[in-house]
Amino acid sequence: MDDETDETITRIAAALRQLPAADPAHKAQVLVAVAAERERAREARMRAARRWRLAGSIGAAAAAALVLFVWRRDGATSRVPAETPAGAATQSTPASASVSSPAPAMGTQLAARDAGAVAPLPVQLVLRAPAAHRVSVVGDFNGWDTHANTLNRDPASGLWSATVALRPGRHVYAFIVDDSVWMRDPRMPQSRDADFGRPGSVLLVGQP
Amino acid sequence: MSRPPALQLIRPSAEAPSSGSAERSLLVRSAQAGDVRAFAALVDMYYARCLRFALHMLSNRSDAEEAVQDTFVRVYRALPSYVEQESFEPWLFRILANRCRSAGSRERRRAEFVEFGEVPDRASDHRHDDAIAWREEIALALATLPTEQREAFLLRHVEDLSYDDMSAATGAGVSALKMRVKRACDALRSWLTEERNGRRD
Repeated sequence: MDDETDETITRIAAALRQLPAADPAHKAQVLVAVAAERERAREARMRAARRWRLAGSIGAAAAAALVLFVWRRDGATSRVPAETPAGAATQSTPASASVSSPAPAMGTQLAARDAGAVAPLPVQLVLRAPAAHRVSVVGDFNGWDTHANTLNRDPASGLWSATVALRPGRHVYAFIVDDSVWMRDPRMPQSRDADFGRPGSVLLVGQP
Repeated sequence: MSRPPALQLIRPSAEAPSSGSAERSLLVRSAQAGDVRAFAALVDMYYARCLRFALHMLSNRSDAEEAVQDTFVRVYRALPSYVEQESFEPWLFRILANRCRSAGSRERRRAEFVEFGEVPDRASDHRHDDAIAWREEIALALATLPTEQREAFLLRHVEDLSYDDMSAATGAGVSALKMRVKRACDALRSWLTEERNGRRD
């Protein structure tokens, strides 16, 4: 069965082929949504890695405790050689002594370091845009959500500002002016890994 | 204060990407390797076509834009699992068509015309009026088609996909797709003929 492309169908197809006018703001929003998806995936990977690390620490601690338990039991039972196989005690003793004690401490240190790492710090973001009607900030810290952090305008100076809580580390961000214009923070260094072809600025939090 | 420059996508190269398959493959491979600019260029390359398809399928601008946005997010998410033996376009349109189908089933068709170009506030010359009236007629006729026929007609006659690519995009067999396209053509012809006759009467 072949296509029946007579004049009517050709005319219909020609009319339907007209490309709609693209809204630049929506096109930008598509890329913002993709960037947000990437951040969600990255966060999920980091959470999974943290879980594995925690599970590893717990596992190591549990293994060490087991070995220590066996070693102590074997140490106690070794005083009764007649009931203990000779190989078991000699294999477990040196290993358990060196591994068991540091393992729980290492887990604690990791937990403490993680707790410290996630403590956010207040950071003020400022943009001079006297003619703007609305300014928001998007970045890796808010999932590139254009509605998450809106800046407040100071009528006297024309400065827009917002204080956001950021975890220590490197952040990439940009401002959205009047819901349509994407611009990086001119006061801060430009991100070399410009996100999806859009300019971004780099902010280092909690570092000298 | 001068207004900051409007948002523009930065292309991976100085030249605009063509729709050539070699360049498209390169962009897809680069995007798979994590090049976000390559993905932005793919969005730039396909945005208008995806929006056109979604508008014809959903007949509503905001629904269509939402479907397109969601499609590109899904494409980005699924990109690691994309294998190049499969053509990119049918793969993209499969995701888009699925998204449009689920949007259409969630929110049954609303009686709105497809928004194309600019509709003038007042009557202008007759040729322009005729062109608008013709597009509105087609939009109405298209809206009367069952979803599967509309989808098949658009993929074949508007997006110019081959029947094999359509099969990859829809999951339907080639014979079934040919039948859907034929029925869609018959229905469109019939609807438009009746409409014209009805207006003359």
